[in-house]
Amino acid sequence: MWDAFITLMITVLLFIYNLIGQNFGWAIIIFTVLVRLVTYPLTAKQMKSTKAMQDLQSSKEWNDMQKKYKNDKEALAQKQMEIYKEKGISPFGSCLPLLVQFPVIIGLYQAIIRTLAVTPIQLVNLSKHINDGANLIPINSKFWWMELSEPERLPILGVAVPVLAILVLITSYIQTKMVTPTPSGGAADNAQGAQMTQAMTLYMPFFMGYLAMTFASGLALYFIATNVATIAQYVITGQANFKNILPKLPNFSQLGK
Amino acid sequence: MIKNKKVLFIIILAVIALTLGACSGRRIVASGWSGINVNEETVYFSYGPHAYALDLKNGAQKWQFPAEAINGVDFYAAPVLADENNQLLVAGYNGVLYSVNPVNGSENWSFIAAENRYIAPPLTTEEGIFAPNSDNSLYAVDFDGLLQWQFETENPLWASPIISENCDCIYQVSMDHYLYAINPQNGKLVWKSEDLGGPIVSNPSLSDDGLIILATFNNEVIALDEKSHQVEWRFQTSDWAWATPVIDGDQVYASDISGTFYALDLHSGELLWQIQPGGGIYSSPLVQDGMIYFATDTSSLVVISQEGVVQRNQPVDGKLYASPVGAGDKILLAPSEAEYFLVALNESGVQIWGYPPPK
Repeated sequence: MWDAFITLMITVLLFIYNLIGQNFGWAIIIFTVLVRLVTYPLTAKQMKSTKAMQDLQSSKEWNDMQKKYKNDKEALAQKQMEIYKEKGISPFGSCLPLLVQFPVIIGLYQAIIRTLAVTPIQLVNLSKHINDGANLIPINSKFWWMELSEPERLPILGVAVPVLAILVLITSYIQTKMVTPTPSGGAADNAQGAQMTQAMTLYMPFFMGYLAMTFASGLALYFIATNVATIAQYVITGQANFKNILPKLPNFSQLGK
Repeated sequence: MIKNKKVLFIIILAVIALTLGACSGRRIVASGWSGINVNEETVYFSYGPHAYALDLKNGAQKWQFPAEAINGVDFYAAPVLADENNQLLVAGYNGVLYSVNPVNGSENWSFIAAENRYIAPPLTTEEGIFAPNSDNSLYAVDFDGLLQWQFETENPLWASPIISENCDCIYQVSMDHYLYAINPQNGKLVWKSEDLGGPIVSNPSLSDDGLIILATFNNEVIALDEKSHQVEWRFQTSDWAWATPVIDGDQVYASDISGTFYALDLHSGELLWQIQPGGGIYSSPLVQDGMIYFATDTSSLVVISQEGVVQRNQPVDGKLYASPVGAGDKILLAPSEAEYFLVALNESGVQIWGYPPPK
């Protein structure tokens, strides 16, 4: 089942690669955008659920409830469920579409890596996924200054700079910040949630950047393409939170007071 | 609550890292299969971070190169003796060709001009060393490790060159679909074949009367005449033909990765017989004492007569991508993903010794 799914992805990837003149870098970008478009209904559902949840959690009703039941977790949970039901919000509404997309993302990644076969064992594995297309082998894995099957470094003034990893870090940061609600403060649980969110927005881009620096640059290209596609989706649907992108500066008018 | 969320977050990151790492080209356990070379007393083979020298009698290790594994350095091409057996050439996935002392494994010199992996072993002649690399180039190096010339093709070179006395040239095939005849003295092109229709990843065979037989990913076995440079015949296989075709008298033994093994007439390319014992075939057969031995990736060593009658289909631990190698009365196998890196069998298929991976 999984193998058939990977075979389908590799077939589409190779079709695009051949169609655009055997440029694997562009094939990755186009394929990533196509997959994002195909999975857009799921993404839209997730975005809608996330927004509804964010609106609810920043509402006065929610914060009052948090304060009222802060010492009674059981009652708090029960009230939360009641509000979810009343507002027609599923607490897992934002998670489930993401879970469905996860195999697609992993499949896409595996398809990219398997297609970039540069050793005999990798080519043996690739041969099990393609019927035609032997003439496309070896895949042209050069893209601009990159060798897509290897981790990327661009020599700048004698220093090997991981440009793609830095771009992954930046786009991951922007993407995470854009989709993150402005912390509303207030209840203790919200403060905890905000702490958690801040940790996520800090660690996740670095983690993605680390992966991009360590693994084949085809993966880094995919990360950038998917981040940019996600940002574009949020911008187009008017759900991007631009206020969060720049770090908060101190309020100078209050300094010295 | 927040502690639990942090733990969950770390677990999610670890799962993502493991998922990606498990399938990344940079993280797979083995990316090639073993190359074996043997003389009267010693078996030389490469697998993973080392090249090894073993006693042929009992499989005892004589030495390994490098003594300690180096991060990012792997070897899969068969070590090759050169310079009247005074040097052993070990070609690495790090793009470095090493000359080591065959007696004790100490390094003589290294050649570092190549930019990519050495998949195939170099050809050595009295004139020097000819090392094909995945950076699309064939490098001619002298016995002191100095570059003599470099010949570039359009795509990676995964096959060793062969030498032809008739043409006084060496033949190099490339994944760019062509066979190149090259002057070994100066690296100049002597002639080039027509587009052979598909990538070629195994070295060709050369018959006494000047037929070059090669296998392509275009599902073909092709015979070229080295005098006329023309295609003499083509034989259609059912899948990619990966392994080097072997010439045995007037027969050619070829195979494809779907697991069909073919016997063809050397001069006409006509099919004499074929069998499909199961499993893909990625390496050339061994012809020894009137029997044909070949390996399949479904872990079996198949032994057939020269008429195509299966004599034995012997299960072996691990995947068999590498060719069986004959060494006197022994058959050497180098299974991948197995308990042993190297196994010596007698002609009845009984294991004489196995060389275990170092702890």
